[in-house]
Amino acid sequence: MSEEEEKDVPTNGRATALRLWRSAAGIRWRLVVAAVAAVLYVATDLATPVYAASLIDHLWAGIQRAFASGRTFRVTMENGGVDILVYLGIWMLAWAFYSVQSLVMASFAERLNLKLREEISRKVERLPLRYFDSHKPGDTISRATNDLDKVSEVLQRGLLQIIISAITLVGALVLMARMSLLLTGVFLAFAVLSAVLTKVVAARTLAVAARRQDVLGRLTGRVEEAYSGRAVIKAFGREEESLARVREDAEELAQVSAHADFLTNAISPAIRFLMRLAQVICGVLAGGMLVAGRITVGTFQAFFQYVLKASEPLTQLSLTLNMLQGALAAAERVFVLLDEEEVVPDPKEPATLAEPVRGRVAFEHVRFGYAPDKPLMRDVSFVARPGQKVAIVGQTGAGKTTLINLLMRFYEVDGGRITLDGTDTRSLARADLRRQFGMVLQDSWLFEGTVAQNIAYGHPGATREEVEAAARAAHVDYFVRTLPEGYDTMLANDAENVSQGQRQLLTIARAMLTDPAILILDEATSSVDTRTEQYITRAMEAIMADRTSFVIAHRLSTIVDADLILVMDHGDIVEKGSHRELLEQDGVYADLYRSQFA
Amino acid sequence: MSKDASGEKGVEKDYSKSASFRLLLRLVAPYRRLALLTVLALLCDITGMLYIPTELSALINTAVSSTDAGGMLAHGISMLVAAVVGSGGCLVSYWLASRLAARVGRDMRVAVYEKSLELGGYDFDQLGTGSMITRTLSDANVVQQTFLMTFIMLAPVPVICVVAIVLAFGIDYVMGWLLLAITLVMGAVMVVAVKVSAPIFLVLQGFIDNMNTRLRETITGIRVIRAFGREDAERRNLDATFEDYARNAIHVNLVFATADCMTFFLMNVVEVLVVWLGADRVGVHAMQIGSISALVEYAMLIMFFMMMGQFAILQLPRAMACLTRASEVLAVEPRVRDREAPAALVAADPTVPVARFDHVSFRFADADEDTLRDLSFSLSRGEVTAVIGSTGSGKSTIAKMLLRFHDVTDGRVEFLGRDVRGVGQHELRDHIAYVPQKAWLFSGTIAQNLRDGNPDATDEELWHAVDVAQGAFVHELPDGLDARVSQGGSNFSGGQRQRLAIARALARKADLYVFDDSFSALDYKTDARLRHAIRAELADAAVLIIAQRVSTIRDAAQIVVLRDGEVVGLGTHDELLATCPTYLAIAESQERGGDDDE
Repeated sequence: MSEEEEKDVPTNGRATALRLWRSAAGIRWRLVVAAVAAVLYVATDLATPVYAASLIDHLWAGIQRAFASGRTFRVTMENGGVDILVYLGIWMLAWAFYSVQSLVMASFAERLNLKLREEISRKVERLPLRYFDSHKPGDTISRATNDLDKVSEVLQRGLLQIIISAITLVGALVLMARMSLLLTGVFLAFAVLSAVLTKVVAARTLAVAARRQDVLGRLTGRVEEAYSGRAVIKAFGREEESLARVREDAEELAQVSAHADFLTNAISPAIRFLMRLAQVICGVLAGGMLVAGRITVGTFQAFFQYVLKASEPLTQLSLTLNMLQGALAAAERVFVLLDEEEVVPDPKEPATLAEPVRGRVAFEHVRFGYAPDKPLMRDVSFVARPGQKVAIVGQTGAGKTTLINLLMRFYEVDGGRITLDGTDTRSLARADLRRQFGMVLQDSWLFEGTVAQNIAYGHPGATREEVEAAARAAHVDYFVRTLPEGYDTMLANDAENVSQGQRQLLTIARAMLTDPAILILDEATSSVDTRTEQYITRAMEAIMADRTSFVIAHRLSTIVDADLILVMDHGDIVEKGSHRELLEQDGVYADLYRSQFA
Repeated sequence: MSKDASGEKGVEKDYSKSASFRLLLRLVAPYRRLALLTVLALLCDITGMLYIPTELSALINTAVSSTDAGGMLAHGISMLVAAVVGSGGCLVSYWLASRLAARVGRDMRVAVYEKSLELGGYDFDQLGTGSMITRTLSDANVVQQTFLMTFIMLAPVPVICVVAIVLAFGIDYVMGWLLLAITLVMGAVMVVAVKVSAPIFLVLQGFIDNMNTRLRETITGIRVIRAFGREDAERRNLDATFEDYARNAIHVNLVFATADCMTFFLMNVVEVLVVWLGADRVGVHAMQIGSISALVEYAMLIMFFMMMGQFAILQLPRAMACLTRASEVLAVEPRVRDREAPAALVAADPTVPVARFDHVSFRFADADEDTLRDLSFSLSRGEVTAVIGSTGSGKSTIAKMLLRFHDVTDGRVEFLGRDVRGVGQHELRDHIAYVPQKAWLFSGTIAQNLRDGNPDATDEELWHAVDVAQGAFVHELPDGLDARVSQGGSNFSGGQRQRLAIARALARKADLYVFDDSFSALDYKTDARLRHAIRAELADAAVLIIAQRVSTIRDAAQIVVLRDGEVVGLGTHDELLATCPTYLAIAESQERGGDDDE
């Protein structure tokens, strides 16, 4: 049941609970009302058996009187009827309190979750790229969904349940003790026994659930990779081996999950069994007391009702307390996300760029590292003059993407500065800075929406003509027209009807439509074939005129005409110059070039 | 073939509850005995559960009517037996049900996976990798859990109703009728509650999916969002999704709370009715006073289990949907099938080409145009044939037709002189070594991956394959051939993966070696060395190289130039430069910039 890999115990439960309480500002009255109603409900609920006892005794007395005088007995309004209706009245009171409690609480948890989720979406807007680059998307998503769901589940059912269970348990025990200390003692002994049992089983359940998660993870990995590598399996005729492996993992999962499911579900009947034993022993003992006239029929029955009332919360309590712990741990994870360091806010009075932006970009002694103790860029300086094509070359990890990260201010420099048209980019509002750039990234991200909406992403007001013009310029117009609904075809992020090359063309069209002063092409052409790449390069050349552009490419053929080539290695620029200059230098670039074209 | 395709959508609609139900029966069929035992254990459980209040009331009756302590003890003992049998039955039934559900889940996973291996590339792509993973894993999980829940929560409902009503009739016919009436009313209420809540419950699932999708999109696209300054719009989108979910979740909670309160209300009315009517019946000697508490308990148990059943029923539609999705997969007729008695391939005389395309056309079932049109050429032993063309020109499809991942729509593909459609898929693929476009490796060791190509290869043979594939880096790994490979091969660079995938193919002794764009991640130096080594290694086999770089294929014996699925040129590099404008254009686009060096 529980898909738990994370910690299930909060590090500071009290602080987290308090913070949740603070987060619930505005809807806290619901909790208060519900709690009061819950207490009243328990009180009434506990009163019913006492009244029922006297009711049964009263009826039984009437019946015996009737029998003694040789008559039969009928319930009429005068003859017990009113008492029964009072009984109904007490029940209805309990029902009313119960209803208030559960209806008021029905929306409390989701309202609180909505508040927290909105905080998360605000947070996502302000988290630095550093956060996203160092956390898996799934982790962040599961905080906004699974973790908050856990919180709401406990708030929904568990929180009041704990109040109700605790009071019921104590109340029932007190009332039972007033009827018979001996019987209560017997019951209590079994209660302690079942509490111990719950604890033991719960610990086992957690362990088994963790193992199940492990095995499931293994099977998932196995199936995922098999589906991705289907062509290999089939081409080499390895179907049987692959099936055998999946079968093996599936078998292990079946065994573990049978075990886990049994433990999870067995706890209630096991406790019920102990409670039944208690009932049997109490029953025999109470029967003897009844015969001896020490208790009445009504009391006998009332006592058993209390036994039933007290048995239920006992199981409930230990289970919900575990759940509460889990929920607090989940809430804690949400708060950790909300407390993550945010990007430095834009300056109060940001500088503005003189229109039109010319696109002169300068790195001046830029120093940067992803981790403070591991500097990557030690001292990078270069100038890209307006309209120049700057190519960045280097091995994976040489710092090409880092350069772009700094340029776009996805990351901030540790030292030195970057200027655009002479203005330090840090003095600009991020949005103003980024508006000057058009970029085509390594992974061609598309969102769920139509083709047209995707192309117009950076320029939502674009007309259909503008969208189509951009698509034509990116050589994707023809492809779009072959789609079932043309520009209105819906795309999903995992769209399998669009190939990687086509996705990239779409993102190029998207960049083109924003008409930026500076273009960034981050390995964009790597999965487009050479011929298409040639078209794109031509189209790019056209819009790159009068624009500064930064191109990262693996293939040197696309960048030989660059005005400036930056050769990077281990974060720093080791060579810079034009293609010819660099060949003449006969250094790293010349070597690289020869290796590709020899 | 094309008829199949048009039928596809219709078939999907036809899949209704009946298909999923049939699948369920098929899954349970092997475990009929286990299922029967589970039901028997459940029967013990419920009988025991109901027998305890019965005996308890008998005990009261004995106590009030006589002073027979021995009789009381007898009741006590039979209660004890009932408790042991009941709880034992319950635990056993849970244990059996857990096993049963786990096996059903396991079989469903394995069945879907096994089927996936039968499906051709097109069949599988129609379903999509993501969807197939869901169908294989989480769908099976939902079915398994629901199946278990059905046994624990739903199956007891009819049993407890019948047994309780029979027992009530045994006490007094009026009370029997009363209990029957209560059951019917409660049943009606539950039907209404399920009818009202089932649709919203399903809708809620959709909103959860939406939240996940939106969040994932926002996080994976964070760079693009910020580059285009769309943070605000994305946040509003997210918030809207959160609000939609909250609104619906609150709605569902309110429906549940209402149903809960209504049940509580009914329980109150029922209890009062039983006391009133019960007292009346005691008054006319029809039954004894102690039986009232037994009857109250029966009624409460009926209602409690019906409540539980209601929750279980709400989970059913989701499980049914999962079953339907799985049965859709199982019902797919693979487009590529083996004949009843496929012909064996015999190495014919060496003058017969290894493979031959004879006026081959191919069209995807859902496409309006041919992917390949009227293709004719041969692959001869000792010769390298190359295919070049732009993205979407159908290059990869050629390899897939040779492997029978797709079958022709027109014309024929021959292998060693036989129409491949008459040859078993396994048999055919045994004669081919294939390097797919995506160099996919499986988790395990390098040796395990290479042995996918040839399970019987010795370590020496594997090293040889690695060396031919220019995999010198393997020698530098501390564990050599036993080095760990993580899922997909992600712990190796693209170039290393490609060389390992090539080594895997080279480990196999085949008549035909197919390299589908397998050199793209290699630098030109390695590419050249590799081609050289392969030529020497595969002198006796036919080689097909699908490529994007002219430099990779310029010395091939024949080059097939594809454009939009048609052969527009066939010849050697020099011939094509003179006669084929498409080829000339490709060559020029790639060699620009390289010219002055040669």
